[in-house]
Amino acid sequence: MNGNAVLDIRDLKVSFKVRRSGRKYQVRAVDGVSLSLAEGEVLGIVGESGCGKTTVGRSIVGLVRPDSGTIGFKGRDMTGAGLRDMRLNIRMVFQDPYASLNPRRAIGDSVAEAGDINGFFTSRAERSAAIAAALTAVGLDPSFAARYPYELSGGQRQRAGIARTILPSPSIVIADEPVSALDVSVQAQVLNLMMDLREQLGLSMLFISHDLGVIGQISNRVAVMYMGRIVEQAATRTVLDDPRHPYTRSLVAAIPKPDPSKRILGAIETGEPPSLFKRPSGCAYAPRCPLASQRCLVEVPELRSVGDRALACHNV
Amino acid sequence: MLSVQDLTVSLGPATAPVDVVAGVSFELAKGEILGLVGESGCGKSMTSLAVMGLLPQPGPRIRAGRVLLEGCDVTQLQPWQRVEAGHGRMAMIFQEPMTSLNPVRRIGDQIAEAVRVHDRVSGPPAMARARELLELVRMPDPAMQLSAYPHQLSGGQRQRIMIAIALACRPQVLIADEPTTALDVTIQVQVLGLLRELCNRLDMAMLFITHDMGVIAQLADRVSVMYAGRIVETAGVEALFGRPRHHYTRGLMDCMPSRNSGARRLPTIAGQPPAPGTVRAGCVFASRCAAVREPCRTAAPPRAEVSRGHEVLCTFPLDDGGPR
Ligand SMILES: Nc1ncnc2c1ncn2[C@@H]1O[C@H](COP(=O)(O)OP(=O)(O)OP(=O)(O)O)[C@@H](O)[C@H]1O
Ligand SMILES: Nc1ncnc2c1ncn2[C@@H]1O[C@H](COP(=O)(O)OP(=O)(O)O)[C@@H](O)[C@H]1O
Ligand code: SF4
Ligand code: SF4
Ligand SMILES: [Mg+2]
Ligand SMILES: [Mg+2]
Repeated sequence: MNGNAVLDIRDLKVSFKVRRSGRKYQVRAVDGVSLSLAEGEVLGIVGESGCGKTTVGRSIVGLVRPDSGTIGFKGRDMTGAGLRDMRLNIRMVFQDPYASLNPRRAIGDSVAEAGDINGFFTSRAERSAAIAAALTAVGLDPSFAARYPYELSGGQRQRAGIARTILPSPSIVIADEPVSALDVSVQAQVLNLMMDLREQLGLSMLFISHDLGVIGQISNRVAVMYMGRIVEQAATRTVLDDPRHPYTRSLVAAIPKPDPSKRILGAIETGEPPSLFKRPSGCAYAPRCPLASQRCLVEVPELRSVGDRALACHNV
Repeated sequence: MLSVQDLTVSLGPATAPVDVVAGVSFELAKGEILGLVGESGCGKSMTSLAVMGLLPQPGPRIRAGRVLLEGCDVTQLQPWQRVEAGHGRMAMIFQEPMTSLNPVRRIGDQIAEAVRVHDRVSGPPAMARARELLELVRMPDPAMQLSAYPHQLSGGQRQRIMIAIALACRPQVLIADEPTTALDVTIQVQVLGLLRELCNRLDMAMLFITHDMGVIAQLADRVSVMYAGRIVETAGVEALFGRPRHHYTRGLMDCMPSRNSGARRLPTIAGQPPAPGTVRAGCVFASRCAAVREPCRTAAPPRAEVSRGHEVLCTFPLDDGGPR
C-alpha cells in the first residue's frame, strides 16, 4: 500500500468465541481491516463502541491473536511474533491509566517496566536518569517517580501512562482513547503533550477514539470503522468537512456542536446500533442506511478508492 | 417550580466542615431545561443528590440552604413524606443505567414496580402503564421488550428504560446526571432529543448535568457553570456561548477541540482545580486564571448581574468575550 510505511496491516481478521443465553457464538470483531501508517503520521481510527477499534490495536501489540492477515513492521511480517524488537518499538497507551499503572508499584517502576524486562538499563543511575527524563518529557516533576497511582490526578496518571510508553523511545504508539476519561481542560493538555512528543521523538501514531473532535485535532488521516470493517478512509479534513459514506455522515452530523444556533436534536436520524450476533448478510450498515438498495442487502461493499479517499459503499 | 437557595453540602466533622458545594443557587421554571456544566469533582453530582435528598449516608450532609419545590422546603421532609407529598415529585436518572437496574429482573417488572409505588396499582394495569411508558420513551417493540433483561439491551435502550422508570412518578422535575456520557454520539443525539421532547410534551422541568459544553449548547435553555463547588456563571444558552463573561467559562470553550479550527496546539487552562476546602480566601479560580489581579487573591468575588439574566461571580469579568 505504502512504500515508506512503518506499519502495514493487510486483511486483519479477529474473532472471539462468546456465550449468550446458553448458545455459543463466533463474533467477528475485526473483519478484514487493511491499513498502513507512514513515518511520523498520526492515523485516527473512529467508530461506535464495539466496532473493533481496540481489537485492531491489541492485535498489533500482540495482546490478541488474529485469525488471519498480516501485520508488517518496517517491511517485516511480525504476525503473532513476540519479537523483542517489536515489543519495544510498538507501545500502547490505554484509556484507563489504572489499567497500565500497577497500583502497588511506584510510578518510576511502572515507567521503567519495559526497559527492565528487556535489560535496557546497565546501571541503577542510568535507570533513574532515564525515568527522570521520561517524566520530564511528559511534564511531570521527576519526584513523581516515588509516588503511587492513587496519589495522582486523572491527567497526571495519563501523563505517567504516556511516560511508560516512551521509555525506551518507540517508533509507533498505539493510543486507545487516551483522553476519553479526562476533563476537557486536562484533555487539551494531554493532546498537546502527545502532539509535542510525536514531533520530538518522530513517532508514528495510531490514535483510537470515538470522538471526532479529538481525532480532528490530532490526526493526519482518519479511518472510520463499522462492525469490524473500514468504511471510509481519507485525510482528516476530507472526512470531517465532506464525509461521503452514509455512516460517516451520520457520525459527523451527531457531534454535539458547541453552538446553540446550530441545534440538531430531533433533526437527524441515526438508527439503532448493531449487534455483532446478528451480522446482516450484505452491507452491515444497511439496516440503518437511508440510501440502502436491494444490492446492499446481498453484496458486501468492498473498500475501493474514489478520488482522494477510500470508500466501502455501493451507492455513493 | 424549583428554587435552590444557597445550598451548601459539607464533608467532615461539624466543627471543621469541608464544603464540596458552597452556596449554590438556581431557579428552574416549568418546562425549562437548565444545564449544569463543570469538570469532574466540581460538585455537580453532590448538588443533584442533595436536591433529590439522596446524599449517601454517612458522609456528605446539607449544612445550609433550602431546596424549595413549589414553595415547600424538601430538605426538611423525611423520605416517606416526599412520596406522600404527592405534588412534590422529582425523579433522577444517572450515567450508568446498569448500576441502577436489577440485572436478574425483567424490565417490565422493574418499570411496573415504579408504577406500583407511585400509582398504587399492580398486576395488569401496572403492566399496561409500563408499556405506555416504554412507548413514551420511544422504545422499539415495547410489548416485546417488557420481558427482556437489562443485559439484552444496548446502552441507549437501557438509558431509555431508566427514563421510563423516572417518568413513572409523573415528575415535575427530572434531574439527569450525565445520562449520555457513556453513549456513542449517534445514540446520545437520540436520547437528548427524547429528553427535550419529553420536557416539552409533559411540561417537565429538567436539571441536566454534564461536563460536555457541546451537549449543553444543543440541549439547554439556560446554563450554570460550576467550578470548585460554586456556580461561577449563569446565563441563557445563547448569551453564554455568544459572550461568556467568566474567565473559566471562556477557558472551557477555548480548549474544546471542535471549537479550535485547525490550530496545532489547543489553548489550555493551566493547573488543576483546587481540592475542596483548600481555598480560604479570594476567588476559587485565582490559581488558574490568566486575568488574575491582586484583589482576586484576598477578596471573595461579588456575584454581579452583568446583563438581564446573566450572572457572573468575578471581580473583573470579561467584557469582550465577543461573538466568536
Ligand atoms: N476478549 C474478548 N472476548 C470476547 N469478545 C470480545 C473480546 N474483546 C472484544 N470483544 C468483542 O469484540 C467486539 C469489538 O470490541 P472492541 O473492544 O475492539 O471494540 P471498540 O471499537 O474498541 O469499542 P469501544 O469504543 O467500546 O472501546 C465487541 O463486540 C466486543 O464485545
Ligand atoms: N460519597 C462521598 N464521600 C466523600 N466525598 C465525596 C463523595 N462523593 C463525592 N465526594 C467529593 O465531593 C466533591 C464533589 O463531587 P461530585 O459532586 O461527585 O463531583 P462531580 O459530579 O461534579 O464530578 C469531590 O471532591 C468528591 O471527591
Ligand atoms: S452499501 Fe448500501 S447500505 Fe451500505 S452504506 Fe452504502 S448505500 Fe448504505
Ligand atoms: S475574580 Fe479574578 S481570579 Fe477570579 S475569575 Fe475573576 S479575574 Fe479571575
Ligand atoms: Mg475500545
Ligand atoms: Mg458526577
